[in-house]
Amino acid sequence: MDDQHDADCGCQEYNELSRRQFLATSAGVSAAAFFPAWLPKIVMSKNYASTRDIIVSVFQRGGADGLSLCVPFADANYYTSRSTIAIPRPDSTSANKGIDLDGFFMFPQAMAGGAAGTGGLIPAFRANDLLVVHATGQLNNSRSHFDAQRYMEVGKPVDPALVTGWLGRHLASIPPLKPDAPLRALGVAAGLQKTLVGAPKTLPIADPTNYSIGGSTTTQPQRVAFLQGDYAGADEPLHSTALDATNTVSLLKAVNFAGYVPANGAVYPNSSFGRALRSVAVLIKNDVGIEAAQVDLGGWDTHSAQDPNAGSMFRTMQDFSNSLAAFYADVIATGYSVTVVSVSEFGRNVRENGSQGTDHGRGTVMFAMGKGIVGGRVLTKNWPGLAHEVLADGQDLQVTVDYKDILAEIVQRRLGNPNLDIVFPTWKPTMLGVTR
Amino acid sequence: MRITTRAKAQHPKVDSSAKQATDIQEDVTERRSRRSFVFFGALAAATLIPRTSRAQAPSRRRRPTDKAPIDESLAIGPRESVAAFAEWDGSLSRLVRRATLGVTKAEMARASQLGWQGYVNYQLNYTRINDDASEAVVAQKYPLLSQTSDVLFGAAAGDIRNQLTESTIYRAAFSQRQLYQRMVEFWGDHFNQDLDKVGYLLIADQRDVIRKNALGKFPDLLKASAHSASMMAYLDQSASRNTAPNQNYAREIMELHTLGVDGGYTQTDVAELSRVLTGWTIQGRGNFIFNPAIHDWGSKTVLGVTIPAGSPSLGQDGIKEGEQMLDVLVNHPSTARFIATKMLRWLLTPDPTDTQISTIASVYRATGGDIKSMIRAILNDSWLPAAPMKLKRPFHYLASALRSAAPTVATLTAMNQQLTSLGHPIFSWDTPDGFPDKVEYWAGNIVPRWAFGTTLSNLNSATTLAVDTTAYRAGSPDAAIDLIDQNFFGGEMPTVTRTGLLTYIKAGTFNDTRVRETIALAISANAFQWY
Repeated sequence: MDDQHDADCGCQEYNELSRRQFLATSAGVSAAAFFPAWLPKIVMSKNYASTRDIIVSVFQRGGADGLSLCVPFADANYYTSRSTIAIPRPDSTSANKGIDLDGFFMFPQAMAGGAAGTGGLIPAFRANDLLVVHATGQLNNSRSHFDAQRYMEVGKPVDPALVTGWLGRHLASIPPLKPDAPLRALGVAAGLQKTLVGAPKTLPIADPTNYSIGGSTTTQPQRVAFLQGDYAGADEPLHSTALDATNTVSLLKAVNFAGYVPANGAVYPNSSFGRALRSVAVLIKNDVGIEAAQVDLGGWDTHSAQDPNAGSMFRTMQDFSNSLAAFYADVIATGYSVTVVSVSEFGRNVRENGSQGTDHGRGTVMFAMGKGIVGGRVLTKNWPGLAHEVLADGQDLQVTVDYKDILAEIVQRRLGNPNLDIVFPTWKPTMLGVTR
Repeated sequence: MRITTRAKAQHPKVDSSAKQATDIQEDVTERRSRRSFVFFGALAAATLIPRTSRAQAPSRRRRPTDKAPIDESLAIGPRESVAAFAEWDGSLSRLVRRATLGVTKAEMARASQLGWQGYVNYQLNYTRINDDASEAVVAQKYPLLSQTSDVLFGAAAGDIRNQLTESTIYRAAFSQRQLYQRMVEFWGDHFNQDLDKVGYLLIADQRDVIRKNALGKFPDLLKASAHSASMMAYLDQSASRNTAPNQNYAREIMELHTLGVDGGYTQTDVAELSRVLTGWTIQGRGNFIFNPAIHDWGSKTVLGVTIPAGSPSLGQDGIKEGEQMLDVLVNHPSTARFIATKMLRWLLTPDPTDTQISTIASVYRATGGDIKSMIRAILNDSWLPAAPMKLKRPFHYLASALRSAAPTVATLTAMNQQLTSLGHPIFSWDTPDGFPDKVEYWAGNIVPRWAFGTTLSNLNSATTLAVDTTAYRAGSPDAAIDLIDQNFFGGEMPTVTRTGLLTYIKAGTFNDTRVRETIALAISANAFQWY
């Protein structure tokens, strides 16, 4: 390894490798063909962590109402602002009463496995493995779903020149966890989510349990050979995709999804989110070299008939909570080094609208879960409150914690990647102590 | 600021200093032109591809040059702009690929006969193209399409979904009015709605808004959409009222339907427009109405236009406030540019130049948003032959495979299911921006495309769908590949694909199975993914 020089990045010493050198030293010659040709010359940390977490990144698409996901029941303005869609206090007699977390915040029953409050995400929270961050989000005040999602996934707002996602740049700036892995990351989706764009050896796979080119198994090797030859001269991104895909087909063929028995009696909901997390769990336990998975859950754009007690948002939260709870019991509680993190593009107005719903707002919640997360608490940076005079633009919960501070700390301390200037360009993160 | 973790029973006071949090501002870089990035991506790829694989790659047309002063480590990513195959050297074939959902031998012959402008005019004057054959099939197989919402209300949701989806596939593949079908797809995404939310209402929207106006005038299209019960339901306009307006439709009509997100409106404009539109709602089983009882009669200002206070005694005249604002929106210069840019991206290039955008926007302004005039200006014989290729979205890919394979169709159930496997279940994109039209979004999902090739080419059932291989087996293996070239590649099959298919077809017994596998590989080939 030559080309060593000191970079002006504080205490870290960097070792710049050309793409080819990196491949030759860490991945072997055969992998060179499968590396995206547009991958930049990347700056590698000289001493990256040899043990590091796998990350499961969740995007709650649509602008999730943080005030329903984790309710500040002790802030009286919550109840005056939400006359028809509030969740009753834990000390009330209502059948829909929430589950107290810390005397100020509570989970709705949908997040806690029902009225008893012992299921859902409660076990992870009580085991100090689940962190809720409140009044968080992004500082850019776009209320467009599409701009706000793009900024959040890219990891830097309003920069059309930056097209890669933060998780994509993380993977591109750190050597593979398993050098010969044909697939380093997957987006459980038909199209690769922005978050992962830029990641080497990464594919969208909507259903990992059924990933095949079909047809006769006898002629399949010949047909794969045709495809490899036909795409060898293809332009990017199809060139890399095709070669990664042919290798991943072989990889996943060897994985037994159908016969998988989750640990600890965990039951994944038979929803697309539940099935996605189940597939990710199978891949992690089969040790195929997956380092990251991006999983999305929609349904959070609750402009009307929100009903977090029994209606549409109740069901969305229940799917979210029960699926993550199964993943927790199956994977995290059994000791796998995995960090789960969940974000949403923005929260919703504090005051409900005339349709028993809420319109696009600002601050919301995010979740982080894992044995390496300092959980069991709701982290806020001086709870800004819900009184009208302190609301952002007179209508929204303020964003007091930038979501990038949470992600940056996870990237550096749980994923072992010190290249935060690449993952979150121009952002100077404040470490809030969310990781162990 | 201090980090606090809430301890039990701690009831914090509101901290006035927290207000400072909203004052935090993030570094916002100056917007750079996309063009410079795209070029840079191409440059970097060329630099990094090992020399051996570059030598094997087919030669490409020269890419446009531009300066590229961008930080390498941050900006890099898959580029959208991919130069066409060297074998695509006929300019008419470029036109047919863009104006249709897939080249066929017959369509290439028609274009040759009519010439460039003749073919553009032929496709644009779509009502003069006899489409009786495919419309008769649609009427017979998909009777729900012609029903009113009052009748559709009683139909099974599965029937609604299947008939709408399968008729759309059928028309895309087998209608003679191909450019019209391309624009139906375009506007369907522009005014996207999710069938899961709006249900049977979408049938009337597709028929009376999208298909009725797909090659008409944009202002008529926008106004028809604004009077669509389905759109009112989808964007919660039907839930908005004077006491608490719902901003969803007011925002998206500006952000996605007319001005564009950078089109010069503010959050205040959104809020004010939502007040203007109160009362625009649905009654009964899906009829648009203006309900004066829930209209906000106060004065409003939207985009600098002030609407004075009215009174409930004005009754139905209250709808005129909204109609006035629709006129402001369709006549706004941002709308001309936004629609021009989107149409250029759809029909010409992922990365239109400022000159191209200005040219087409001026056509919009000069013709009152005449869609045909804009298309005629976009599909010119100077821009199009120099344009990069575009990746077929899965719906387009599936339709083009059907056009080329020309199967006998009894049902399209299997194709409907394939759209889901391919990641493009039409009418089921849940957010109002519509399915993306970007290489970076679609490129990764390649394995389902390959599986689709196998599925389609092996279908041989009179009761569902049958691909007939007789003609391919009539001569030699070489002749079979020539026929695949004519039917699937417009006679411009890249050399690498021809060589590979010949190798494959000759590596086994020349029979029905081998031919079907070879057709599957043709559909799976790189060159079949682009247009």
